[in-house]
Amino acid sequence: MAYDLLLGSEGKMEFLLGNEAVVRGLYEAGVSVAAAYPGTPSSEIGDVLYKLSDRIGIKFEFSTNEKVALEVASAASAGGLRSFVFMKHVGLNVAMDSFVSLSGAGVKGGMVVFSADDPSMHSSQNEQDNRFLGKFARTIVIEPSSPQELKDYIVHAFDISEEIGHPVLIRSVTRISHVRAPVRLGKIKEKNEWKYKKSASLVLLPENAYKAQMSIVNRLEKVRSSKYNGILNSVYGDSSTLIITSGAAYNYIDEAIQMLNVKARILKIGLSFPLDQEMILKEVEKAERVIFVEEGGPFLEEQILSLCAIRSINKKFYGKINGSIPTSYEMDVDRVAGFLSEIYGIQFQTKTQNLNLPERAPVLCPGCPHRATYYVAKLAMKQRGIKDAIVPTDIGCYSLGYYEPYQLGDYCFSMGSSIGSSSGFTIEAKERVVSFIGDSTFFHAGIPGLINAYHNNHNFVLVIMDNYVTAMTGGQPTPETTPPFKRVDIESVVRGIGIKNVYSMDPYDLKNSLDTFKKALDSNELAVIISKRECALEVDRKRVPSEAKVFQINQDKCNLCYNCVKNFTCAAFYVDEGRVYIDPELCDGCSVCSEPLVCPFNAIEVKP
Amino acid sequence: MVSLVLAGVGGQGIITVANIVGKAALIEGKNALMTELHGMAQRGGKIVVEVRIGDYKSAIIPARSADIMLAFEELEGARNLSKLKESGVIVLNRRMIHPVSLTLKIQDYPERIVAEALSKYKTINVEADQIAMNLGNKRVANTAMIGATFSTGLLNLREENLITAIKESLPEKHWDINMKAFEQGKILPAFETAKVA
Ligand code: SF4
Ligand code: SF4
Repeated sequence: MAYDLLLGSEGKMEFLLGNEAVVRGLYEAGVSVAAAYPGTPSSEIGDVLYKLSDRIGIKFEFSTNEKVALEVASAASAGGLRSFVFMKHVGLNVAMDSFVSLSGAGVKGGMVVFSADDPSMHSSQNEQDNRFLGKFARTIVIEPSSPQELKDYIVHAFDISEEIGHPVLIRSVTRISHVRAPVRLGKIKEKNEWKYKKSASLVLLPENAYKAQMSIVNRLEKVRSSKYNGILNSVYGDSSTLIITSGAAYNYIDEAIQMLNVKARILKIGLSFPLDQEMILKEVEKAERVIFVEEGGPFLEEQILSLCAIRSINKKFYGKINGSIPTSYEMDVDRVAGFLSEIYGIQFQTKTQNLNLPERAPVLCPGCPHRATYYVAKLAMKQRGIKDAIVPTDIGCYSLGYYEPYQLGDYCFSMGSSIGSSSGFTIEAKERVVSFIGDSTFFHAGIPGLINAYHNNHNFVLVIMDNYVTAMTGGQPTPETTPPFKRVDIESVVRGIGIKNVYSMDPYDLKNSLDTFKKALDSNELAVIISKRECALEVDRKRVPSEAKVFQINQDKCNLCYNCVKNFTCAAFYVDEGRVYIDPELCDGCSVCSEPLVCPFNAIEVKP
Repeated sequence: MVSLVLAGVGGQGIITVANIVGKAALIEGKNALMTELHGMAQRGGKIVVEVRIGDYKSAIIPARSADIMLAFEELEGARNLSKLKESGVIVLNRRMIHPVSLTLKIQDYPERIVAEALSKYKTINVEADQIAMNLGNKRVANTAMIGATFSTGLLNLREENLITAIKESLPEKHWDINMKAFEQGKILPAFETAKVA
């Protein structure tokens, strides 16, 4: 069975994805409860936990959003159990309200919050460095560098957390969570017993919160002098140049200095808040110059420079603050070698080459129901003479509607923001507002916005694109998924708010969907369309391959009007010497393109 | 120490191939690192996977230092050539997946510029899809690619370890057909360069 290798015995080596190593770490650490909302680059943790939870004795749930997930985990920890919550970096913004209070309340069973940051924004809207949020919330911050360290540091993080009574934030990044490497498995710890004791510290009313402030300070002070500094920090190399580094950035340094043929002493920090001040300052004192190489912002740099200022330690410092090192985008060996060469004053050129090749923008999958929804949305607007609609969209596969030819999406920045911003736009806009949100995103952060819109009399068309899964992160369940879970019906939620103008449609039925859209556009109050059709990839995963139909273009009937390629634009279409074809390897067999609303000449047919 | 870049399009199963190579290295007692990038599209977007075997810490390969490029799709192969060193070898699956950006403009696949870019390197053309089709299962094309990569002699891994890794990654009922695909991928014409159209 898949993932069995995560259950192997102590000492075994397995080739694991960072996120898989996380799950093994939870198993080894004796974790009892875990919760999450899926988000790349942390998603695989949930995929694995979802499948293995029974076998490793971890009660795991996909919660509706990161804040709920964090609260689920923190309650388990209040009962003495070890608990874990994980998310992508921006997920921590959603969880922030409870996260910030967590340090004040403290923890009973060890509790670890895991953030997978995404420098270079491979699949995100920003590259925020959550170490700063960890410090802001005054949690302990730990940074692993590799899949092996992800696993090992998780075990240490739980030990520290439980010993000190304080939450730990582990910060990973794409290039750790999505790196595969050999991982040596460790021993499995016993799980804690449930033991809940009422305590004033868990009720953050002003009086208790006042006291909590001091306990935060005391607990963090204990971390500074704990044995874990020795375990999580390391230093090697002989040179008067000291490079202070952590996390993924560390991985590039040895190779870069080898490339440049220079020397450095490397101080690798694993426990990055609160810092082991004495050890670090001793290293800085010995050095002539100090270079900070970090993935993300100047987190260690700011802390260490302020310490140096207090102690009047004056060295040559290089980092993001003085501009020697770029502040954006992820590191790699070439980039690190590039800026180190300037600091060391030697010649180095990365050997890049520029070919002028056509871009391959991300696309909706062949058969994707969103394509059909967008196609009819555009058509309906065109038929109603709406040219300049304002189109807030949201976070999910459907944000690809931004690209040609649909170009539906002109305002998008966080989960659920489509609905709140739609309300804002309608206040003064002369244009019609039509916005799009996915099912999972609607449950996550859309509902308060919709209540607001209805209550405050905002008039726009909201399209909830319901494909029954959290698709973009790999098809995780949503509150609609059954069994063994209870199904939450979107239409009932929307109607429950009081909204009457609610339409359900199947986007594959283009004709009916077009009528539905027009009705919604004609309405002069808030209208909600629920466009329901299962994610094409999910259908594909469940289907026997031989049952899939494939479509082709009947070249005799094709009139070369190009409506199908220019406006519907299934990713399986291609053009060769002016003729249109369907790539049989890519066609999903959804049949939507064969409708007269796409091909007026009935040229698209099932391949015999 | 060997570095491989694998490039292609989402849905081609590239990650599985990289995983097999990494596993084989581990079975052989070597260190292996692999990193994958696949934007926000579930299918049809560009994918790059990098594999490094040997005593590395960085999974990302520096510019112009990969020994082998496995191009599962021709344009994506060309796009990632800046990773390949001058003496590097391309194992090229003869597959073209048209980018939507061109289709929208009623343009053909950029065959000529792609072939020109690829032609600067030693290239092994693998009719992986053909091999798979002949064997009656289009999903084994990637195993033929592994066979072809092995036959370059550059992987520096033992055949039996690759085979063990392939088997560990697949249910037993698919072993036979995959072994056949591996064997047929191995039998290659001598190095050829991609033909410039
Ligand atoms: S819509 Fe029909 S007639 Fe027009 S180009 Fe496509 S297949 Fe040909
Ligand atoms: S049937 Fe048509 S729309 Fe559906 S996947 Fe195939 S080519 Fe695309």
